[in-house]
Amino acid sequence: MPVESTAEMSVGPPSDAELHRRLVYGDETALAEAYTAYGALVRRVAARVTRSPGGAEDVAQEVFAQLWSRPYAFDPRRGSLRTWLSMLAHRRAVDWVRSEARHHKDVRADDSALQTIPEPGPGPDEEVVDRERSLLLHSALADLPQPQREVVHLAYFAGRTYRQAAVELGIPEGTAKTRLRTALRTLARSLADPPDPAFGRGG
Amino acid sequence: MSTGHHDGMRDLLTARALGALTPAEETALAPHLVSCERCAAEAERLRETVRLLDGPPGAAMDDDTPPESGGTLALALRTRPAAPRVAEHAAPYAAAVAGLQALLEELEGDGPWHTPVVHDWDVHDTVGHLLAADEPLARHLGIAPRVPPSCVAGDAPWEEAWNARTAAVLAHERRRPPRETVAAWAAQAGDVLAAPEAADPARAADVTSLMGLPLPLADHFVVRGFETWIHTDDIGRALGLAVPPPPDPHLWQMVRLAVRILGAALGPDAPPVLFAVSGGDRDAQWVLGAENEPVRGELVLDSVDFCLLVGGRYAPDEVPRVTTGDRTAVGGVLDTAASLAWL
Repeated sequence: MPVESTAEMSVGPPSDAELHRRLVYGDETALAEAYTAYGALVRRVAARVTRSPGGAEDVAQEVFAQLWSRPYAFDPRRGSLRTWLSMLAHRRAVDWVRSEARHHKDVRADDSALQTIPEPGPGPDEEVVDRERSLLLHSALADLPQPQREVVHLAYFAGRTYRQAAVELGIPEGTAKTRLRTALRTLARSLADPPDPAFGRGG
Repeated sequence: MSTGHHDGMRDLLTARALGALTPAEETALAPHLVSCERCAAEAERLRETVRLLDGPPGAAMDDDTPPESGGTLALALRTRPAAPRVAEHAAPYAAAVAGLQALLEELEGDGPWHTPVVHDWDVHDTVGHLLAADEPLARHLGIAPRVPPSCVAGDAPWEEAWNARTAAVLAHERRRPPRETVAAWAAQAGDVLAAPEAADPARAADVTSLMGLPLPLADHFVVRGFETWIHTDDIGRALGLAVPPPPDPHLWQMVRLAVRILGAALGPDAPPVLFAVSGGDRDAQWVLGAENEPVRGELVLDSVDFCLLVGGRYAPDEVPRVTTGDRTAVGGVLDTAASLAWL
């Protein structure tokens, strides 16, 4: 007769790998936990880009639907769920804005400026210009190489210091600093030299 | 002021613009920005970039209290249903079915269904095999087979009948698109999980012989979960997608069942071996073999590795392990575990 003795060890907060495991195996409480942990971050990222509560909601729904229905797309060995969701939300938000922009262009083909604020109204021109430049920057941010994007997401959206970001990513602090600098330079350059005609100011 | 100091300060400017400095670094940087025009100008440029990234003020929606999850997560749950709620004994199977369904979603349309997986099966065949392998339990629960019955002599030994049935089902499935095989497998699994025996432990207590294993019906559910996971892992490896092991509670149900079967296979006269399994947040140990003799050796395996060994995915001399004492006694446990040939 086999003798069994089980020693339950201490349980900490669920790790990404643990949460991911439960997502893969269809445990909906894991989805709710992921939302509790990262819902605010996903919405913050989405709102910052879309400037629209409706847009932020659309993006948040899409992001969590993707996490849940395509769980194998996230690999906990390659990065944290926080950065993965933040980057996914950002990418989706940029796509959301682009598709809104196309929609507006279709509706008003002669519109010379990109208008994505849901009700632009007669706001000051300066604000429209800033809005455009902001979208340019976010579009460029979405196109950055992943190692740079990860640090920017942790520092800018998730409120980490560059030192905390370095620890979270398992990279030296100097590397985190360098990546932030390279990233922001690339973003600044994108303003001078818009890569995507959809964001250029026609007219 | 030294160049080194200036460079050190300059390196902090980007992090500062993003608000990613510690307060101490902010404090250290402040006097330098007063005294160094170049850094001050650079800081201003960086701030402007971040200001634009922030977007126009006023429309900020940095609300940290997100709405209730219900509305936001409804789309997710419409896209993929959660694993059905069943009794503990059926939960590993319910979860493994959900895990395989999600994995098969990665093969959109004409995806790599013909990637070789295991034995001489591709992805399509492996799902076809599971359709056949779930059938004995399904049939026992009164669920009609999804594939027309094949002619096997009623008195054939179970292995012969089983191999013939697998071959017949694979032949049948190869004539239709993979998606139809997946649908048939998923529908049968859904029926098994919707059976009252999946919800009620009292109805799953009877010992039933399925595929040569006389076990309580509840254990047959665990075996189905085990095989479904192992083949999901096979498919994941073939496709280059990492399949995590089942959640710990499920994994341990499998481990405990496998240890019981291993103990029975070794019998009461085998040289006693202390067998320890560890993984996740728990570990457990058993004495396998003769009860009233001193333990001759010790074997420690990881919970996932033990399952892979029992599932035939490790050779006995390949599985990562820690052993002490009598090598023959320990080797006997490893060989027997590998020969259980659960799959």
